[in-house]
Amino acid sequence: MTAPLRRSRKSPGGHGRVGAISANSRAATRAGRLGRMVEAAPLAVPLVLVALALTMATDRFLSADNLTNVLVAAGIVAIPGLAMTLCIAMGEFDLSVGSTVALTGAVTCTWIAGGQPAGVAMLVGLLVGAGVGLVNGLVITKLGVTPFIATLATLVIVRGLALAYTGGRDVIVSSSALKYLAAGRILGVPVPLVLAIVAAALAWWVVNRTPFGRRVCAIGSNREAARMSGLAVDRIRITVYVIVGLAAAVWGLLISSQLQKGSGQLGLGFELDAITVVVIGGTALLGGRASVVGTLLGAVLIETIRNGLNLLNTPPAYQRISVGLLLVTALAVQSVRARARRESRDD
Amino acid sequence: MTDTVTPPVPDTARVPTIQRRWARRQSLGALWDTWGITAVLVVLLAGSPLVSPDFFTVANAQSVLRESAYLGIVAAAMTLLIMSGAFDLSVGGQLALVSVTTLMGYAAGGTALAIVVAVATGIACGVVNGTLVTALRVPPFVATLGMLFVFRGIAYVLTQDGPKTLPYSEIGSPFVKIGGLDIAGLPLPFLIMVGCYAAVWVLLRRTATGRRIVAYGSSPEAARFCGISGNRIRMTVFVLIGLSVGIAALTYISRVWTADGSAQDGFELRVIAAVVLGGTSLKGGKGTLIGTFSAVLLVGVLNDLLVSGGVDASYQRVVLGCVLITALAIDGLRTRFAAPGSFARLFRRPPKAVPAR
Repeated sequence: MTAPLRRSRKSPGGHGRVGAISANSRAATRAGRLGRMVEAAPLAVPLVLVALALTMATDRFLSADNLTNVLVAAGIVAIPGLAMTLCIAMGEFDLSVGSTVALTGAVTCTWIAGGQPAGVAMLVGLLVGAGVGLVNGLVITKLGVTPFIATLATLVIVRGLALAYTGGRDVIVSSSALKYLAAGRILGVPVPLVLAIVAAALAWWVVNRTPFGRRVCAIGSNREAARMSGLAVDRIRITVYVIVGLAAAVWGLLISSQLQKGSGQLGLGFELDAITVVVIGGTALLGGRASVVGTLLGAVLIETIRNGLNLLNTPPAYQRISVGLLLVTALAVQSVRARARRESRDD
Repeated sequence: MTDTVTPPVPDTARVPTIQRRWARRQSLGALWDTWGITAVLVVLLAGSPLVSPDFFTVANAQSVLRESAYLGIVAAAMTLLIMSGAFDLSVGGQLALVSVTTLMGYAAGGTALAIVVAVATGIACGVVNGTLVTALRVPPFVATLGMLFVFRGIAYVLTQDGPKTLPYSEIGSPFVKIGGLDIAGLPLPFLIMVGCYAAVWVLLRRTATGRRIVAYGSSPEAARFCGISGNRIRMTVFVLIGLSVGIAALTYISRVWTADGSAQDGFELRVIAAVVLGGTSLKGGKGTLIGTFSAVLLVGVLNDLLVSGGVDASYQRVVLGCVLITALAIDGLRTRFAAPGSFARLFRRPPKAVPAR
């Protein structure tokens, strides 16, 4: 019942051109196919260009170590990014992920420092993340607070809790189990990358192959219609917020594993990073569509640029500027193209 | 093309809103919309001596008003912007950038140049945001999110050799007076803030532009059919935001004396929180200035009480966040139960939903 909702959103562009003059038609369909490919992965082109430029500009970029670094960094951002993709596809945001990162790290590290086994501490951290997500979901659905404001408030609250939990101090731990999360390798592949690949496969499957993914997109394209057709809208929304909370908790574990510490100050501004990755990847802010591949490419693109700027010894300030400009450019291109498409359809 | 057409104002809109409202009996809900947060503020003020005996000393009251000013000034413009159905996430970056350039301007040419630079930088930021949103059609959320990074980045680049500061020898300068002067016992920043609210009120309630902003916010499509140029409205509100940040930065930096790229991290969210707390709807088209004004003071007073009550800084955030959720939850529940009989429906069994496949 909900399946056509998504199918019908596929852009009708391209097909109308088949009846054109035969000399042009093949070129036109080829252009159409290329267009659709660009549509599916709009970031592939800039990614290749940036990679080429960096290969030429520096001699270290193409080394195996460096590429692994880029992929690991991208994988770490991609995990919350993928969850956020679901949330944005539902037409909503979660601004509290940065604070959840801090709280998870703080709780886990404090438990480890208190002598608990690392596995238990990590599990508690994940539960804390899921708990934050659950609170978000309940406040949004049951109290009817706009997601933007509800998660803005939990951003402030959870950050406060994280600071209170650690007493404003850094909790430094040395736990091999926690360290394994960021520095370990499975069959030679870094653990964060393995986690990201699993998360990506899971996200792709959920979005493209499960009723749950279709329902999330259905809520994003028209919540009222989704409710009328009998979807348990509230339950689905709460589930998505719990997923985002869990992903943020994983992010928090990875970050505190990298730094070997927990602190209320971790993850400042991370919520914007997670949203940036998704938005650059082409998931529309209005909801209704989720692009898992786009989010992955977005994460790789951003981390490639960061890495390149590091290799070129530019100060961190320029990294912010370039990420900002990238975000704005990506969306400008998207909206200009959407307008062109709309106009060609109107003619 | 639509730019040149003056929109026909519908007849009903010519009747002053205030008169129409008072003609009928006001519902409790409508009263709450406009004055709710002010009432909460009054209650809080009345109860404050219980928590902190020296709350009502002149020095303390002055410091609360002074501290609230820069947030309040930007919140005034943000109320307009949110009423027009957009919001600006870049004000934190703008404030950092304007603060840095203002200090550079002061170092180069004294107070006058500093003021000119502050206002000019602010407006420039607003024009950039406005252009992105109107000419390039980037959604405001993303455009201003991107520019948040960019403005902050530029501020960082400008302060690479250390934060810009005002040397202590400048303590007698008129520039410092902007943040420090008291007129008739009221701090100048607060007076500037009141002036900004008066100006925005006039713009909103007494000019065609104000009506167009509200009309555009409540329904962009309908406004377009009335011949209102959406682009011009959006450009206006974004430039006003920039201007307000310019003014706010003057009152802020002349008090704090130092700025770098990290100045006022998270400012954008605090501004939006204050506006929303004041009862302005994020969907656009609905909002009150008095609400924003009271919400800004409420946040200031609450902060002050928590500090003087000895509450740890980390719990202050928790309290403020909970206040925000409570305010919005009241609003959300109110709209949910606005329809007659909707409350009674809670206790009846809901009709069985069609199971989803």
